[in-house]
Amino acid sequence: MSVHTEVPSLSRGLPVAYKRVRLWQWPLRIMHWIVVLSVAALIVTGFYIGTPYFMSEGQAADHFVMARMRFTHFVAAGVLVATAIVRVYWLFAGNKFERWDALLPHTRADWKNLWLILKKYMFIEPAKAPHYLGHNPIQEISYTTMYAVAVVQILTGFYMYSLSNPGGLLFNAFGWVGIVVGGAQVARLLHHVLTWTWLIFIPIHLYLTLRADVVHQESRISSMIGGGRYVRADLDFVDD
Amino acid sequence: MMGPTPFAWSESETLGQHLDRRGVTRREFISWCTDLCVVLGVGSAFTPEMVRALQQVRRPSVVWLQLQECTGCVESVLRTSDPTIGDLLLDLVSMDYQHTLMAGAGDAVEAAKATAMEENFGQYLLIVTGSVPLEDDGIYLTIGGRTGLDVLGEAAEGAAAIIAVGACAHWGSVQAARPNPTGAVGIDRIIRDRPVVNIAGCPPIGDVITATVVHYLTFGAMPALDGQGRPLFAYGARIHDQCPRRANFDAGQYVQKFDDEGARKAWCLYEVGCKGPACFSPCPIFQWNSHTDWPIGAGHPCIGCTERNFWDTMTPFYERLPNVVGFGVERSADVIGAALALGAAAGVGAHAIATGIQRSRARDGDPGAVVLPVVSTPPEKNLESDREESDG
Repeated sequence: MSVHTEVPSLSRGLPVAYKRVRLWQWPLRIMHWIVVLSVAALIVTGFYIGTPYFMSEGQAADHFVMARMRFTHFVAAGVLVATAIVRVYWLFAGNKFERWDALLPHTRADWKNLWLILKKYMFIEPAKAPHYLGHNPIQEISYTTMYAVAVVQILTGFYMYSLSNPGGLLFNAFGWVGIVVGGAQVARLLHHVLTWTWLIFIPIHLYLTLRADVVHQESRISSMIGGGRYVRADLDFVDD
Repeated sequence: MMGPTPFAWSESETLGQHLDRRGVTRREFISWCTDLCVVLGVGSAFTPEMVRALQQVRRPSVVWLQLQECTGCVESVLRTSDPTIGDLLLDLVSMDYQHTLMAGAGDAVEAAKATAMEENFGQYLLIVTGSVPLEDDGIYLTIGGRTGLDVLGEAAEGAAAIIAVGACAHWGSVQAARPNPTGAVGIDRIIRDRPVVNIAGCPPIGDVITATVVHYLTFGAMPALDGQGRPLFAYGARIHDQCPRRANFDAGQYVQKFDDEGARKAWCLYEVGCKGPACFSPCPIFQWNSHTDWPIGAGHPCIGCTERNFWDTMTPFYERLPNVVGFGVERSADVIGAALALGAAAGVGAHAIATGIQRSRARDGDPGAVVLPVVSTPPEKNLESDREESDG
């Protein structure tokens, strides 16, 4: 997995060993950026569908704004679902950083580290926080939470979509959602409110990734593009 | 309905014979049957069979129970300025028992009901409006000293078919809204061993009741039902998908306030809380009051009255989304969501500033500064010595 490289020129006289660690394989990286695009489209069009924020004038026959918004929303939803299906497959076909057992912290050490990393973010003994190559426990919990949010939104979304054709394939597949949540309006509310969790998650995700790169020089952003990270070989990583 | 009429449908004659006597022409009868075939979704090609079947129908016995309700459903069926053959048919159907319309009262009519149910045991049609309260042993509704549960149970025993008319009989309506103090439930919660046809709505459209009864008389069976027991011919499509204002919805033209220009131009009522996208009903097609108009046609948003729990989930009627329970009535979902999202953004900003301060203190050699570990560059010392060398 890891390749050791000597970079003597940077630290003449005191060689520091680096290693390049391959983390994210190309299918996962592609999935990440597809999700970025589709979620962005879903949020923009979704808020228009929820509360149309501009209007068209003149004859109805001359405009198709809401219809186009809904079309975009449904296409983006289809893309998201397709990606989700591949991601589920990748939970079993991916490497150890991508597999299902990386979804949640599951060892006693992980839970202890979760606390240490939380403390690091609160500027308390940051040097004591452990290093992770892949996702640390906080990342695991938050990303898996967003997976769960996406699942609920997909279910409620397809349920509402299916209402236009009761008795159809989608209605038979998703009609139970309405019974479970207590009606179409409750499904609509859930779908709408959960969108805000994305708007809470995205700034935090962007900030912490950027901060990891700027402050700790963890090369997190480039790892989601190139797939790997350069890290010092003399450091210990929990999930190496 | 139960009013005294010189043209009583005697038990010995068929419907065809009776309508003849009443002066209904064959042309009128056939054209009405054609309409109903279309309403029921069986297609007009079925008309000859329906004509044949209905002509042969003998007077059915109907027991109409009014339980926990407001009588609005009966009013909805009665209030028709231009009686059609369908209304006539409901008139003719022998209402052996109907609180609001029968002339008698007290023990006499209770006895009449008992007789009718005994004589037609297993054959009468049971129509129920109103819910059944279960809290405190059902004392919140008593008729003749007996609870609604008791009365309904007895009537259901010998019924050939049961039709629950209106939102109360469907699921409990306003008395079943939170917190439902009387424990009101719909008829299909009580009658578990056979299908209950739910004619949903608060009140439902009279034509749907007529068509369902005619379906029963013609085919001897109830029409196809959806998952909530509502006839599919009437409740098989959303208001939103049959709405004459759908073009404005797709175009992005919405009424913002009830007196604005959009309202005068009859634009879509989506933004003033129309529940058409969540509501299954034939209102746009059947319409109300002898096909005069319907709520959206008159510029009022749909309140979703054919859906279960609409008092809880479709309110506020003039808002798109229901309120979040437990967070207070005034704070809607968007306010809470936006506050949290802004809070996250502000938290992120504050954290970034704190990080910057710590780093600059560390750079200035402040001994109290928190040193943030670096993963991928060599120790600072090496870099500095590196720079010194190249400077020299």
